[in-house]
Amino acid sequence: MDVVLADRLQFAFTLMFHYLFPIGTIGLAPFIAWYEFRALRTGEQRYKSAARFWTKIFALNFAMGVVTGIPMEFQFGTNWAVFSAKTGAVIGQPLMMEGVYAFFFESVFLGILLYGRGRVSPALYLFSAVAVWLGAWLSGYFIVVVDAWMQHPVGYTLGPGGRIVLQSLGAVLLSPFALWQYAHVLCGAIVAGGFIVAGVGAYYLLAKRDLEFGREFVRAGVIVALASSALVIFPTGDRNGNDVTVFQPIKLAAMEGLFKAEHGAALAIIGMPDVAGRTLIDPVYVPDLLSFLAYGNPRAEVEGLSAYPVELWPPVELTYYAYHVMVGLGTIFIAVAAIGALLLWRRRLFETPLALWAILLTMPFPYIASEAGWLAAEVGRQPWIVYGLMKTQTAASPNVVTGEAIFTLIGFVGMYFLLGVLFLLLTLREIAIGPAAQAAPVAAPPLAPAATR
Amino acid sequence: MTSIIGFCLIAGMLFAYTLLDGYDLGAAAMAPLVAKARSERSAIVESIAPFWSGNEVWLVAAGGALFAIFPKAYAVSFSGFYLPFIIVLWLLMFRGIAIELRAHLPGDMWMDFWDVAFSASSALLILLFGVAFGNLVRGLPLDADGYFTGTFSSLLNPYSLAVGVLAIVALGQHGLAYVACSVEGTLGERALRYSGRIWWLVLGLYVAVSAATIAGRYAGPATPLLAVAASALAFVALVLVAVFARRRKPGAAFRASVVFLSGLLVAAAATMYPYLIRPAPGGSGGLTIFEGAPAPSTLAYTLAIAIVGLALVIGYSHFVRQRMSVAVTVLDERT
Repeated sequence: MDVVLADRLQFAFTLMFHYLFPIGTIGLAPFIAWYEFRALRTGEQRYKSAARFWTKIFALNFAMGVVTGIPMEFQFGTNWAVFSAKTGAVIGQPLMMEGVYAFFFESVFLGILLYGRGRVSPALYLFSAVAVWLGAWLSGYFIVVVDAWMQHPVGYTLGPGGRIVLQSLGAVLLSPFALWQYAHVLCGAIVAGGFIVAGVGAYYLLAKRDLEFGREFVRAGVIVALASSALVIFPTGDRNGNDVTVFQPIKLAAMEGLFKAEHGAALAIIGMPDVAGRTLIDPVYVPDLLSFLAYGNPRAEVEGLSAYPVELWPPVELTYYAYHVMVGLGTIFIAVAAIGALLLWRRRLFETPLALWAILLTMPFPYIASEAGWLAAEVGRQPWIVYGLMKTQTAASPNVVTGEAIFTLIGFVGMYFLLGVLFLLLTLREIAIGPAAQAAPVAAPPLAPAATR
Repeated sequence: MTSIIGFCLIAGMLFAYTLLDGYDLGAAAMAPLVAKARSERSAIVESIAPFWSGNEVWLVAAGGALFAIFPKAYAVSFSGFYLPFIIVLWLLMFRGIAIELRAHLPGDMWMDFWDVAFSASSALLILLFGVAFGNLVRGLPLDADGYFTGTFSSLLNPYSLAVGVLAIVALGQHGLAYVACSVEGTLGERALRYSGRIWWLVLGLYVAVSAATIAGRYAGPATPLLAVAASALAFVALVLVAVFARRRKPGAAFRASVVFLSGLLVAAAATMYPYLIRPAPGGSGGLTIFEGAPAPSTLAYTLAIAIVGLALVIGYSHFVRQRMSVAVTVLDERT
């Protein structure tokens, strides 16, 4: 195996596994803050129990996110030394800001959220819940900025020896590409959060236990899922797609499986790309729709892959399928959330097992859609590591050989298999214990007078 | 000038990491020694659980700063020590998981497993960090681009291993002082007693390593005065650790330990300066802070981010620590 391929597989694997957990923290944090807020306002036990229940699930996500996230920052250096040495002046800044402004904030206040109940004032406790929410969302922003710069580099100049010099941090942080990409990614994670909360609620209703919480979770989850699954498509997905159309037309053509330039290009709903034959097999088309989506004009010309040299093509199949999986699932989320919301409005949702089953079974799919979206974005960026500036093939560490990269990849796979099993085991256990049990007095350490320091 | 500021910033962040994560790593490494029962081990974990991930962020932030200010050194060092570095990452993961998952299931086997994982991975981490640090001070075989050309086993030389063991006992003492501060009752008192016992080991290794550093002429000619002054300060602080431990003042002993470790780190940084990666004695190559010095504009951004951000961090983490610093008690002693 080529060492660059081994490096890519390792980065893809560790990053895709890591991202499962930020989805959970970004998606669940607002629910915790909301329930803490309701608990403080009304003083009702059920809100306290709901907040405590989701905080426990959040904590598991956070712990997994931290331990799988720390390696990410250092894998730039271990496996991508040439890339790091060249671009550090730019992407080191948002990475450092993520640590200093977001990760610190989230960690420190999560300490209060997990261990401070009863030790700190209720107002500070609520503030901590909001701070953890802010930290989780901000953290995502800085990381998306790093990726957006790799997709569409801005705010830099080329110094002596091809070194990249940061010219304007503001331009990097406020890159329009980053803003829409972040909004899109964020909405995707909130869709997941909405369906997790609604799905767990649906489970309680179907299992006929913790009914009061089941209804509350389904109600809150469905509303959030509906709003966010609409926002994930419009305007965020549309705008993000527009940036791809403008800045990365080859990626657009690969995502759509469009080989030849067309006026009034049709949108392929399904179909299998045949790269050798330069065509889609068994496609189902909607006429003119691609031209309309890309340029707002059904007759506009969309360029196909054949307009570009083959060595600038990304892996077409993977980009195409990943993108179609994301879009297809996104459509299903809207449908499920809309049916749920309609039944909720007609006051029939809690008595309609079929709809509850649909909500419950939708739960894992926002994860798949998010991962597929990232796959389309990152595989579609190939052969560039920094779009138009630096090729992936030239970016890896020169002194790391294939054997080492494969050894550590296998090690990460083993480690993450263990983490995944533990995470599932403990999360399912928390769901089995359920929110109603949270009201029971917990065996928290009794407060002792503060030690002299 | 920009290089020196960048060097000081990164060194400062790494010092903060060592002092903060140092106490929880040290407490974990010493837990099998000082804790006689599962309930006592639980108390030690409880005393660090709210703080460890905040402490570890200093490592992430320092990594980001190194990435931004000296990208070449970041790239060369992490890819140069590929395997040891990935092992450090795995150990960091294992330790984090041990702290976070331990309390999630009631069950003696479950807790015992994570206790061993927690202490073993923490002790190994300190050893590896110490060995890495020893090698950085001692110097490494490098090629013209600054990449490490030696083998994994060549990193395990006597000097670096001695630094690794010194790191275990010094951070162990630091961690024991932290446990003495934050756990009440017999465990806290025992921790203070043990820190007094381990003190002799710290002293012996500290003197031996300092002597070897001077004898090996690892000290660069650039800042010998600072290195000597910092070492002297560290020595005085180390004596104070023993004095306060004997007088049963855990808070003062912990603060003295902070000064001792700071002195040690400043002395080491002064010895390294101006190298980020030192060539082996007599060898060539190496990466000084002046090669690939950051562009002033880059550094200005990084400094602004760091100063504003770290001031905020220090402010609110101090606030949170004050609100949260309630002494932990061992479950058996609770009524």
